[in-house]
Amino acid sequence: MIASSRRIVITGIGIIGPLGTDAASFWRSLHEGRSGVRPIQTFDTSGLPVRFAGEVPDFDAKTFVEKKDRRGLKVMARTIQLAVAGAQRALDDSKVDKSKLDPTRFGVEFGAGLIASEISDLVDAACVSANCQPGRVDLEKWGEQGIPAIEPLWMLKYLPNMLACHVSILHDARGPNNSVTAGDVAGLLAMGEAYRILLRDQADFFLVGGAESKLNPLSMVRQCLFEHLSRRNDEPAKACRPFDRDRDGLVVGEGAAVFSVEELEHARRRDARIYGEIVGFGAAFDPTLSGDGLTRAIRAAFAEAGIAACDIDHINAHGLATRESDIWEARSLHDVFGASPPPALAVKSYLGNLGAGGSTTELAASLLALSEGRVPPTLNCENPDPECPISVLRGAGKSVERPYVLKVSFTQMGQCAALIVRKWN
Amino acid sequence: MRRRVVITGMGCITPLGYSVRETIDAQLQARSGVGPIHAFRAQSFPTKFAAQVKDFELKRFVADCKRWEDCGVNSQFAAVAAKEALEHAGLLNDTRVDRTRFGVYLGSGEGIQDFHNLMSLIYRAYRRETRQLDVADFERGALRDFHPGREAEQELHTTPAHLAAAFDLRGPNFNCLTACAASSQAIGEGGELIRHGDADLMLVGGAHSMIHPLGVTGFNRLTALSMRNDAPEKASRPFDLNRDGFVLGEGAGMLVLEELEHAKRRGANILAELTGYGSTADAFRVTDSHPDGRGAIACIEGALKDSRLNPSDIGYINAHGTSTQVNDSVESLAVKKAFGEPAYRVPVSSTKSMMGHLIAAAGAVELITCVDVLHRGVLPPTINYETPDPVCDLDYIPNEAREKRVEHALSNSFGFGGQNISLIVSRFSK
Repeated sequence: MIASSRRIVITGIGIIGPLGTDAASFWRSLHEGRSGVRPIQTFDTSGLPVRFAGEVPDFDAKTFVEKKDRRGLKVMARTIQLAVAGAQRALDDSKVDKSKLDPTRFGVEFGAGLIASEISDLVDAACVSANCQPGRVDLEKWGEQGIPAIEPLWMLKYLPNMLACHVSILHDARGPNNSVTAGDVAGLLAMGEAYRILLRDQADFFLVGGAESKLNPLSMVRQCLFEHLSRRNDEPAKACRPFDRDRDGLVVGEGAAVFSVEELEHARRRDARIYGEIVGFGAAFDPTLSGDGLTRAIRAAFAEAGIAACDIDHINAHGLATRESDIWEARSLHDVFGASPPPALAVKSYLGNLGAGGSTTELAASLLALSEGRVPPTLNCENPDPECPISVLRGAGKSVERPYVLKVSFTQMGQCAALIVRKWN
Repeated sequence: MRRRVVITGMGCITPLGYSVRETIDAQLQARSGVGPIHAFRAQSFPTKFAAQVKDFELKRFVADCKRWEDCGVNSQFAAVAAKEALEHAGLLNDTRVDRTRFGVYLGSGEGIQDFHNLMSLIYRAYRRETRQLDVADFERGALRDFHPGREAEQELHTTPAHLAAAFDLRGPNFNCLTACAASSQAIGEGGELIRHGDADLMLVGGAHSMIHPLGVTGFNRLTALSMRNDAPEKASRPFDLNRDGFVLGEGAGMLVLEELEHAKRRGANILAELTGYGSTADAFRVTDSHPDGRGAIACIEGALKDSRLNPSDIGYINAHGTSTQVNDSVESLAVKKAFGEPAYRVPVSSTKSMMGHLIAAAGAVELITCVDVLHRGVLPPTINYETPDPVCDLDYIPNEAREKRVEHALSNSFGFGGQNISLIVSRFSK
């Protein structure tokens, strides 16, 4: 690894999720063991086999942007609005004076996913272009009458780079700007990359995070087709059960978590509150889903941080709560930590899988835990699965005893990442 | 001393050919790859033409077609280009290199939406009497009619995962979809992973096709596409006064990046060095680039600084050059501002005049062109350049290839929404 004398710290947290729209209510829910998984309210789910999710209650994007910028919300899909709101919260929380930031040294990076079109945006065009054959559209009519029935800026509303673009425009961030589109691991990869950009002195301040909402009919249909969702419609709060023997699949969620991340001297000069320091990152690919890739990603992050397994206070697990994924993850963690692993917290048990917004939201729980001195337990892990050889943090949680947290995340196709954060003293 | 990054393999599939060689040969012969859309019936669309990969059949290129069956054409293009690049680098089946130190970073696009099923399901779920959608009816129909495998393949992380699994590349695996800057950004950040020590080898590039009904619809609504339906081959005319929008292209471009000492140790054929990478945002509007080229100037300057070169060292610029009014004038302005007086002595061309705009994949293929320029000493032209635009007053290599020895070449890519990426490749010297 190439050593750098620069140090990178997290100075702001912005959370918009099933447990609330600020970090304080997020922490309160974790502390009280309250789940954010409920029946879906925002659209009719009666045609779906799964009718619950981790939904952001009463989200109103207007309250997060200045009046002059509200018109722009019309060209933002819900995913983008969540990101914009999360970024505003992260910036507010960092208490940075925006007028004192050098715009050319201010970067933005988001983990993002495929954004499905709202079907209501396509109704007019679909209706004028229909013919009598199911499954076919009259392209002649689509060209003549369908295309003019689509909103002019329709496409921009759904581009995955628009999370980072809108945030850069709203806050005049003219530094590096990237959108990592890598499924569930996207947010953590974005964190790692922004950390590296700050290390190599191409920026001093970053808004970095992840956001995603799959809570619309088209995306939800797709999730159901992939057939790994929990079917516990009768008890949503009990549905997401990472590492539990009776887990029956993942739970869909939505949300954003964004951090203000900056170079240490930059933070010190403005006397910023510091939540933690990013000290190591690693990424790898696991072609056979054997756990070997995740192990390599973790070991690379350890090497960069210059620490050993015994320095870890707790593992912030991916904990997807599907049968195979949890076994795969646990075996990999076992390879790294051996017989006496640090306890593992699976934040998805509270809110489901937030997709590209998941890993940063989960990491936020550990950052808050480090500053509060207390780690909340994993919910719903009533009977730990003997096939998952790790120690799941259950019961009343625990107090923080060691200085480092390991966050891991991966996709079901094999992309893996690990990030290590150090408690700030 | 920082780790140096060299290019040791390249592959592409484009509207001009099925390989790097075919693509470059066509560019140097000033051939257009633009014609009527044959992927679907576009006769009544505002734009009825595009630059398409001709008669694409995966099985002509890849033995194991099964893996790619449900994939969108984006991943299939990626497979073809990746195979060529890895073969070129001598790494297709090389078991001596540590595959855990070999990663993938793509700027790759999405798979293709099941347009016909989606639209007819929405139509059938619409209740005329109440003027409302019966969402539950849509859901039931979609669960019945959509193909699970093909729906999954629309997701954005699938392409780099397939490449990694198919070619045993077990290092860091990323995808970024930053619109038209994507594959250039992937190359830049992929190079940084090698510089930092996360990997010794990276397969980088991009793949994309938006030549489908919703793709053309979206761009037509944004009024971004040329509508020169009477003369498709003349439609992509970057920097020409009468340009009226870009022409959609499709395809993939892939490069193998390698740490210099690693390449030397295995006796690799070093094609060029990746010396400069600049990355900025306009932070202006989602629909337009900044009128003063603010972000583009800073980006070009950033790449020059990274490479420790002066503007006068650059012998060729492959422009973003989309053939839209705004891009071409702002880009010309940015080159002049970033380069100063030497701007008038650097030949600039847009190969989009021939290939069309490969969107996420554009930058990778354009960087391949730059590497070839370093080798062959022949610059590809900007075709359809007929009427000079007073605002665009640089040397655009009009209509015919030109011989020139070049030491360093610059490639620009600017994305919808304001991401700017500049890359510099240099003739390799010890």
